[in-house]
Amino acid sequence: MGFLTQLSKEYKRVSIVGMAKNAGKTTTLNYLIEEAMDEGVILGITSTGRDGETTDLVTGTEKPKVYLDVGTIVSVPVQLYELSDAGLEILRMTRYSTALGQLMLCRVAESGYVQIAGPVNTADHKKMCEEMMELGAQLILIDGAVDRRSIAAPGTSDAIILATGAVLSRNMKKLVEETLHIVRIYQSERLSEGSLREKIVAGATQEKIMLVKKGELTFLDLLTGLTAGKYLDEAIDKDTECVYIPGALTQGVIGDIHPSKLKDVLFVLKDPTKIFIDAGAWQQLLKRGLRVSVLENIKIAAVTVNPYAPSGYSFAHGELLTAMQEAAGELPVIDVKYEEKLCD
Amino acid sequence: MRLSNPKTKNETGFDFVLREISVVTPFGKKELRDCVPFGPGEEGALIRELGRVGKMLEAEQKYPEKTEIQRELFLEIKDNSFTIERSANNALSIVELFEVKTLLLQMKTIKELWETIPQQLPQEFVLSDTVELLDELDPGKERLNTFYLYDAFSERLALLRQEKREIEISIRKLQKELRRQVEAKHDICMTPKMEYLVAKADKKRMEEALAIRELVYGGEDYMAATFVLKNGEEVDSFREKIEEINATLEEEELLIREILSKKIAAFREVLLENCDKIGKIDFALAKAIHAKTHSCVCPTILSEHKIAITEGRQLVVEEILKKKGKAYLPISLDLQDGVTCITGANMGGKTVSLKLVGLCVLLAQHGFYVPCKSAEIGLSSFVHILIGDSQNLERGLSSFGSEMEELKDILDQSREKSLLLIDELASGTNPAEGLALTKSLVSYLKDKAYISLVTTHFDSVALAGASRNLQVRGLADADFRKLSGEINRANRRERIEIIGKYMDYRLFPVENEKEIPKDALNIAKMLGIPDQIIEQAKKYMEDRKDEK
Repeated sequence: MGFLTQLSKEYKRVSIVGMAKNAGKTTTLNYLIEEAMDEGVILGITSTGRDGETTDLVTGTEKPKVYLDVGTIVSVPVQLYELSDAGLEILRMTRYSTALGQLMLCRVAESGYVQIAGPVNTADHKKMCEEMMELGAQLILIDGAVDRRSIAAPGTSDAIILATGAVLSRNMKKLVEETLHIVRIYQSERLSEGSLREKIVAGATQEKIMLVKKGELTFLDLLTGLTAGKYLDEAIDKDTECVYIPGALTQGVIGDIHPSKLKDVLFVLKDPTKIFIDAGAWQQLLKRGLRVSVLENIKIAAVTVNPYAPSGYSFAHGELLTAMQEAAGELPVIDVKYEEKLCD
Repeated sequence: MRLSNPKTKNETGFDFVLREISVVTPFGKKELRDCVPFGPGEEGALIRELGRVGKMLEAEQKYPEKTEIQRELFLEIKDNSFTIERSANNALSIVELFEVKTLLLQMKTIKELWETIPQQLPQEFVLSDTVELLDELDPGKERLNTFYLYDAFSERLALLRQEKREIEISIRKLQKELRRQVEAKHDICMTPKMEYLVAKADKKRMEEALAIRELVYGGEDYMAATFVLKNGEEVDSFREKIEEINATLEEEELLIREILSKKIAAFREVLLENCDKIGKIDFALAKAIHAKTHSCVCPTILSEHKIAITEGRQLVVEEILKKKGKAYLPISLDLQDGVTCITGANMGGKTVSLKLVGLCVLLAQHGFYVPCKSAEIGLSSFVHILIGDSQNLERGLSSFGSEMEELKDILDQSREKSLLLIDELASGTNPAEGLALTKSLVSYLKDKAYISLVTTHFDSVALAGASRNLQVRGLADADFRKLSGEINRANRRERIEIIGKYMDYRLFPVENEKEIPKDALNIAKMLGIPDQIIEQAKKYMEDRKDEK
């Protein structure tokens, strides 16, 4: 079974998320589109809106322009419709709008290049994807905003494809390590169903730091900030079972908490994108006994690698792929720039 | 004809009702915005308008599923009237053609919705048939809300596209063959896009790639140089051919768009008329739904100038009470040409009664149902409320000054069949002159062909000059022992509400002064004014009687 067919069986919406700018996100998207053509999977193509990036939208520098085959369902804003090189049959005028006008759902009638855009709001995005499925898309690929891992937050899609590449580091070991770090934290343990989860979900609407002591909730009257760690350290006592942090979990926050307290407390976060701690420090914290759960984790469908970095250096053909494959275990890893099977 | 000024519409609560009318289509919004009142002489037209609202109300009750479908359709409707106007002299874009097709499909669905029960939709609301035009935009008659310049639009278009596709396939085949040859010959690997990518850092490979004659340097990005397959003469000539076809295709597409636009332009009048009708249905239905939610009834429109309201409710006040979980005590009123005075207790709802009359009359004359158990309304040519208003104070005029300014305007503008609603005239000046002024105004208005409704504290005015006198029952029948018991236990905020609870807001005709209760002192006492002051005031009241 082809990779795309497999994806479409497991997921409905897959976001493509870059580890950094130039990690090969658009290349990944194009690769997946070509694969879909070969496998006969009908794709829906959209992107997450880019609020605050209208200059990019206007100049077109970051606008994904992709070559789409006949039958693909795509979201196009009214003002980009006429600019499209492909023949697009208008299927529906949606209620969602972008800086470039209302979004239309179209079916590609004659293949060619299309500039895509999607709704900004997560709820709208989800609804629009459902509409695309209604219109016949078997799998929706979402082109995320450039180097913003935060768009990977659960809710936008069912799973992500993580695009990584040489741009991250000259040192291949470090590159693999950092990518793997993201893979691991994204797949952090989801807080299991039960009374603790129910309590935290109910309290989380207050957007405050929350402690669970002997099954009772206490709220700290502070948002996460650089100084929050000290107050948190003060508040954690021997009865504290769990701490919920609504904002970012940073080195600074954790560093202020007495190491002996780390082992006994479960830290709960909204989702893994709230973790802002690098690979090395994270490993040390885990060794010291840090336990972190998330309310929603992120499914990773595959990792794609790009052995070239913009500054000129690159890894030898196949080497990065092999290294990543070895490190990733079960997870599919694909080199989108050179695909081995083409030369077979 | 201007029926009333913005202040009157606002103070009576008419604006409040307009804001609650939920029209959904752009055409309905326009109807609401441009809604003009019916005046004397237009009774027939008004009755027909109310009849249409009645029909929609009936439809809403009898066929809720149909009105629901219609409402959903309405939510989708966009204002494309400018596109329709544009169609005469321009080639509409594909998006515009799509929007016109959408509108045509919507019109068709709305029309069909009522076709099985033609008696339920007023004749004026029945949309004209536009299926002929829809067929032009939907040659396959698939009736799907999608649009593209389909091959069915022109044989030439279909042929050109077919030709283009065939050439593209030929190119692809040729290139694949070429790629296989090059890959075999030089032992390299190319992408499906016929590109050969080389890392710029890899000097050796770069040199090798540059030496391959079948490839041309196709540019580079940060990371890699791209070499593309040289096309060869055959491919080049195919490419040229495609360019030619593209140019012809563009011309053909423009031609089709022009033809379609002309066809739309030919239907301009019908389309705009239909849009208008959709707006009217939307507005009438919104009126009907408002009537249903607020238990409003169809007013009986009379040809003579009189107003009879049975159990009317002022909707703004009702809304406030409802939020507090309280019931509204409806008011009944009967008004004719001449002056009717309302006297009675403070906090007795005199002003609300005044606003109620204005609201019912404005609603009825704009073709709305009225918030009453029943109502008979003869049309007025001018409706004005004179009521204390803080805006003028902000302008720097004294309350008396601005009141007189407004009164002058009203008297200047009043004509036959006016409705004047005057609240506590001259309460801001000394009582002696205020009384005199009110008295003479009442006697001036008495002989005019106006319906005047005046609220006042000056009992003697009412009795002497007016044609009819009404009085708020107030606390007359209240059990004062119970009332003061409750008051004593209540805090400051609750006191006002308790008095409200015991207050009887209904209006009754009065014949002689004896019936007039003096509630002001009672209320003042209950609200905590020291006994010493109240007792003294009572004494002064006694003295006044003695004087007489």
